[in-house]
Amino acid sequence: MLLDIRNLTIRTQTSTGLVNVLDRVNLQINEGEIHTLVGESGSGKSLIARAIMGFLSPRWQVTADRVWFESTDLLNLTPQQRRNIIGVDIAMIFQDAKSYLDPNITIGEQLSEAVLDRDLTGSWWQRRGQRKQKVITLLHRVGIKNHADMMQSYAHELSEGAAQKIMIASAIAHRPKLLIADEPTSTMEPATRQQIYRLLAQFHARYGMSMLMISQDLGAIMPQTERISMIYSGQLMESGAADALLTRPHHPYTEALLSTSLYRQAESEPRTKLPTLAGVEPTLQHLPIGCRLGPRCPYAKPECINFPSQTKLRDHHFACHHPVNLED
Amino acid sequence: MTRYLLRQCILLIFTVFALTLFTFCLSYWFTGEAMTNSSGLFPDHPDYADAFAARAFDRGVVAQYIAYVQHLLHGDWGRSLLDGAPVFEQLKVRFGASFEVIFFVLLLAWIPGVSFGVLAALKPGRASYILILGCSIAGYSVPVFWLAQLAILVIAVHLGLTPIAGQINPLYEIPAVTGSIVIDIALAQPDNLSGAYLSALQHMILPIIVLAVMPMMLLIRLTRNSMLEVLTKNYIVASYAKGMSTRRVVWSHAIPNAMQQVIRQLGSLMSLLIANTLIVEVIFSWPGIGNWLVRSIFERDYPVIQGGLLIIGLLILVSHVLLNLFHAWRYPQVRKDLYASS
Repeated sequence: MLLDIRNLTIRTQTSTGLVNVLDRVNLQINEGEIHTLVGESGSGKSLIARAIMGFLSPRWQVTADRVWFESTDLLNLTPQQRRNIIGVDIAMIFQDAKSYLDPNITIGEQLSEAVLDRDLTGSWWQRRGQRKQKVITLLHRVGIKNHADMMQSYAHELSEGAAQKIMIASAIAHRPKLLIADEPTSTMEPATRQQIYRLLAQFHARYGMSMLMISQDLGAIMPQTERISMIYSGQLMESGAADALLTRPHHPYTEALLSTSLYRQAESEPRTKLPTLAGVEPTLQHLPIGCRLGPRCPYAKPECINFPSQTKLRDHHFACHHPVNLED
Repeated sequence: MTRYLLRQCILLIFTVFALTLFTFCLSYWFTGEAMTNSSGLFPDHPDYADAFAARAFDRGVVAQYIAYVQHLLHGDWGRSLLDGAPVFEQLKVRFGASFEVIFFVLLLAWIPGVSFGVLAALKPGRASYILILGCSIAGYSVPVFWLAQLAILVIAVHLGLTPIAGQINPLYEIPAVTGSIVIDIALAQPDNLSGAYLSALQHMILPIIVLAVMPMMLLIRLTRNSMLEVLTKNYIVASYAKGMSTRRVVWSHAIPNAMQQVIRQLGSLMSLLIANTLIVEVIFSWPGIGNWLVRSIFERDYPVIQGGLLIIGLLILVSHVLLNLFHAWRYPQVRKDLYASS
């Protein structure tokens, strides 16, 4: 197990008091696995990523039974220990990559920041040369051939796809064991998205790194995904092998999302009602008790006011009192 | 960048044209004869007839303006009506003295201003916010002439820590070559060099502190606000994701980006500072342009008024253009905002 998260709870103060934004979430990622976390915006996906990276400001109270990376407890690290892991063993790329590049520093300089001093040897001058060489290698690895131009460019001169490639180049500089990708392709057109996915799949194959992909859209997840976890309003609904979960979901939420996805819509008759969940996602101030899907769930019963415990069916976990597709 | 440079140069040429046109017109707007107001020569002066022809006063206004600009470029800015001394020669020395004050004020305002601003942003909290806001509002609203007189009264008169006025103890007999007392002492090499520098420092310290208070407070507030904004930016998060330490993130990403807003505001700060320098020079009898200009206004020394206005205008214009150029050179997306190209 590379990453083991048990009962991760993140609280924050709102106008109605302390709220569990993330409620007892479990997440396990094995070595070399591509794991996709799917949920609507505001469901707490990015919060999980930021909690792993240690980016959350003190207004977020993070508690968990464990957040382990290999055997390191990520929640209790000194700043020095954190720097030895973050950016080296765990790297992260983001949505809207351009805004994550410093607008006033050339791409070459920014990439050279990702090269660690400990990887360089010799005099100051030699180290400078090595640093530049490493940056060029990184650029070539992400498929940027004209490295000289790119190194002199600024963020505003890049396309979204190129900016994301730079972020990937910076993230893979130390061959991380885990790459967290927070909706890396959500603002891209499909062709660029596939390009980025292929690049990530290539590094996954070459370095054997695990990946935690975060996505809003079940229809646009990375094709190589091995496991999918569904999160709704800060609660983990279902988690399982990608093909099993996509073909036979056991949680009503996954089923509803799948039925609204594009490829299912094509099968439905025109002028019929789009089979979506009634209502909207609850706000932080008005979270339902128990299962947070309750008010929108077509199968909800009185017992849903208690959050169901996780049920394990072979490799498939789900938290529901009334699972679907369980016939045989 | 070349395009931006050209644009700024053309703008500078136009504004300088407007400025010289204004100072040229002053010769006509002042009472008395335009020729005397412009050259500083009275009709009974032996060179009057030659100067009259050279300044084209026998021809049209356009020719007169061209001759005026030519004289300016050759360093002939007329003579003082009072003592007949060449304005440009006096100006050089006065400019040196004023420039020295402005330089030290900027140094004194910039370093603590920016450092405290950065510190306040890194340690946010109610106490630091109230302290910063209180100090900066107080520093900004206290009128500089009042503060200068208060400083003289308390520090110089009651406590006797510094002299009341002047640039250096006259007994050192430092000849004014550049006007900047620090350079002049180095050029004169008096017997008691360290004593001379100490005396210069004692004379300089009060006007510099009085002038630095307002820019420093402004800079603290500007830097703090700008830093707080920059620290929420995504590229700061990305720097942490690279495993950089807070110190490195602050030094290499947060401060340089925060300075962008500060430098943009520095131009208006410069104009304000120059205006305040003129007042403080009079109060401290500092032999700079302000002191000289105010005296010449009282004595209706028209060529000096024109020269003084021109040089202050030029100083403000050139400092603005240099700041703009530095800003565009250091922050490339500024040029992109202007032209959608680099």
